[in-house]
Amino acid sequence: MPAIMAVKPDSARSNPDSTPQKRRLRSDTTAAPDSPISTPVKWKSPRTCTTSSPKTPISRVERDCSENITKSHKSPIKKLSDSLTPTKQKWNPLDSEQMKAVKEAMHVSTAPPNIVCREGEQKRVLEFCQACVEQEKAGSLYVCGCPGTGKSLSMEKVKQLLFHWANEAGHQQPNVLTINCTSLAKTSDIFSKILGESQPRKKVNGATSPLQHLQNLYSQKPQPSGMKMMLIIADELDYLITKDRAVLHDLFMLTTLPFSRCILIGIANAIDLADRFLPKLQSLNCKPMVVTFRAYSKDQILKILYERLMELPYTVFQPQALELCARKVAAASGDMRKALCVCRSAIEMVEAELRESSSNFSSSIVEKAFLEQQRATAPVFLEKQEIDVVRLDHMVVALSKTYKSPIVDTIQSLPQHQQILLCSAVKLFRGGKKDTNVGELNKFYMEICKSALIPPVGILELSSICRVLSDQGLLKLGQSREDKSKRVTLCVDEADITFALQGIRFFRNCLQ
Amino acid sequence: MGRENTVEEALNLLRSRLCNPSFVFKPLSDSPDSNYSKLKFIISSSVTEACNNSILLLGPRGSGKIAVLELVLKDLLVEFPDLISVIKLSGLLHSDDNCAFKEISRQLCAEHQLLFSKMASFDDNSQFMIAMLRECGLAHKTIIFVLDEFDLFAQGKQRVLYSLLDAMQSVTSQAVVIGVSCRLDADQLLEKRVRSRFSHRKLLFLPPSKEDLQRLLEHILSLPVDSTISHDYAVEFNAKLQNMLADEKFKQIIITYMDSDATVNHLLRFLFRAVSYMELGSGFLSLENFKTALSNIQRQPKLECIKDCSILELHILVCMKRLEVKEQNSYNFNSVMKEYKSIRASFQISEYYAWSICLRAFEHLLQRELICFTDNRGQNQSVEFRPVKLLISSHELQQGLKSYRSCPAILFKLMDREV
Repeated sequence: MPAIMAVKPDSARSNPDSTPQKRRLRSDTTAAPDSPISTPVKWKSPRTCTTSSPKTPISRVERDCSENITKSHKSPIKKLSDSLTPTKQKWNPLDSEQMKAVKEAMHVSTAPPNIVCREGEQKRVLEFCQACVEQEKAGSLYVCGCPGTGKSLSMEKVKQLLFHWANEAGHQQPNVLTINCTSLAKTSDIFSKILGESQPRKKVNGATSPLQHLQNLYSQKPQPSGMKMMLIIADELDYLITKDRAVLHDLFMLTTLPFSRCILIGIANAIDLADRFLPKLQSLNCKPMVVTFRAYSKDQILKILYERLMELPYTVFQPQALELCARKVAAASGDMRKALCVCRSAIEMVEAELRESSSNFSSSIVEKAFLEQQRATAPVFLEKQEIDVVRLDHMVVALSKTYKSPIVDTIQSLPQHQQILLCSAVKLFRGGKKDTNVGELNKFYMEICKSALIPPVGILELSSICRVLSDQGLLKLGQSREDKSKRVTLCVDEADITFALQGIRFFRNCLQ
Repeated sequence: MGRENTVEEALNLLRSRLCNPSFVFKPLSDSPDSNYSKLKFIISSSVTEACNNSILLLGPRGSGKIAVLELVLKDLLVEFPDLISVIKLSGLLHSDDNCAFKEISRQLCAEHQLLFSKMASFDDNSQFMIAMLRECGLAHKTIIFVLDEFDLFAQGKQRVLYSLLDAMQSVTSQAVVIGVSCRLDADQLLEKRVRSRFSHRKLLFLPPSKEDLQRLLEHILSLPVDSTISHDYAVEFNAKLQNMLADEKFKQIIITYMDSDATVNHLLRFLFRAVSYMELGSGFLSLENFKTALSNIQRQPKLECIKDCSILELHILVCMKRLEVKEQNSYNFNSVMKEYKSIRASFQISEYYAWSICLRAFEHLLQRELICFTDNRGQNQSVEFRPVKLLISSHELQQGLKSYRSCPAILFKLMDREV
């Protein structure tokens, strides 16, 4: 069952404007810039959330959602929809241009112009980078969070903001290297890439490895002209973890060298990557700062969805439909990509409904026209039911398609003997046994067949049935020279099988 | 003469149809609710709207996933001739990321008539793929990646999947990733970051319903009326076929056959056999053809072996069974003979067989693999002393005895008794 991540309290939750240094219990770095010391805020456990819960009615305000609406007590959704209603027209789903625009707005790959709900985290990272650039010191930062929480997107934004700020404040613009660690053939290639970026015209001496070269470079006093700072954003950092953890370690150690010029930002999913894989840095007192991107809450998802829909001049979704989607996704994983996927799926439901109704409509209008001709009366204008908004029922179907597992459907549609075999496996494993072999299973299977007066299939056919079921992932077959002694384990929950087969009386009695 | 030629021609036509998956799956794809239309809608909307998409096709082996996909792709290539290019990968061959990227680059090069160099490194290939995706995105051309045996790509570090799906996250590329797998939980096998990028769309390929099955049989086995085959013969053939399809016994045969495996492929194998049994003399399919095919497919080789055994060999098998029931862990020919002697004594069986004849019968059983040695080490010992075990279960033995032509009643008694 997907559990809500219990992570360290995000400081932005209660106080978006300050960075309480005191609360960074685990990983604090002295190389971090001296940010303003704020008053320590009372530590609030992320679970005991008094401002919002899955059952919160919409009218409650969610403070960390937006800095703009902190003052008002009106719900953000109501306020947005108020601002929406006067200017929005009706959506015409039959117009392909409009449909295309809606789908594009809801696509995962469209980056929204302004990124909401991540202002706090972006601010922290930006301040860290700014301090590094100002003081011309190196530093490292580790960004972690579940997939779909906006990490890479936020880092792109921070990059742009940093450039903007560097131009305005008159500092030298840093070099930037954005690298996705999955695209490296060898983990040590990252050093040659860093070297290539920092010294693009110099040829690398074959004798020294890129890592050594970099280490030499950063240990010597730089020329008076000064080198530019380099911002390295390493995405999917856990691909660099090797058995001896050398590459990751060396990468972070680069920032600790006396004349190092790199600001390293690593992005990964694991919260404790820094603790687990970089223990030596603790002793040197230069552990990277950790910024956690928590999974989105229901209100955050809702806000982001509305932000995307705001550019369109028409209302596409019923507010209840969006709220249902946000609730479901927030409860399951808090993954924004899923939410967008579900919304697109709901739009496709509308398309399918339109196609069906238009084919029914056209056939019924042909019928009617024919009848009218026969009767020679004035033609009646048929009222077509207008579908101009994605309704709650569309969203419900889309959500059930996303979150339903195909296992129950498949078990219900299996042929009879395969179902009997699954049944006998369930009965066998009820006694507490964990695995058995095909011969034992055969005995149970034949007993059940006898009780149902169905002729059982032979052992050859039975082993091929076992193989088919193991291909589908319902059973697991071990290896053995003889068919009969292959080990069999059940991969599906007993409750799922019981639920799937409850419609058939025989299996219901059998599995009691 | 002419009649035989016609019949042969019809037979060839039927057999070639049964081997052609795109012909077989046509009728199943006609309804708007079918997987064919759903898949076609998803891919064509991705192509026309220039957005990225991903979908999984799940179903047991032989349920027609690749066949339906091929049908859809064929139709789409006709509908959008220049807007689609297809790249096919297989999890059995290309699950290693080096191989996968090389193969992608090779297929892209072949499609766009570029020169492919086998010396290209992994970096070059991945850069090439990303560049091609961008170029095709600019040219509004969609690349469709078909990943067969999708669950095998999910082994190891899943780099191929991650790179493909990550490339689809950017606006510049236009790609559709179609995964085909027989594992129902294929998307549970993905790492969470890969799963987050993969859309949840799944198409289940379930076995056909009874009505679908009926339509399928009609579609495959009916001869075309207006082809080179003579018109009258075809009409008569179809009429007889309709009668047979409506027959209850025929339906029962099909149901019995499909009870163990309900996939379309399984049915096709059965139909092929049945059609091959068609008599060239009469030229029509009859119920007998299907019955013969059923009994031939559902063979039980060990039972047939038992039917060929002599009475002495049956006695030996029953004695071994009794020894097993008495929970003797290992026994050899001598202990079997002892058991046989005790049975003869207690039941006063009159027949007497010499030692050498019994040994010969024992060796026959070994050759037919109804029994075998339990260890491979004692090659130097003679046959009498090496431990043996039964290779058939008691149920099979009982069934064999029942179907034996003139099995002595004593054997049944011995099988039933505990001691």
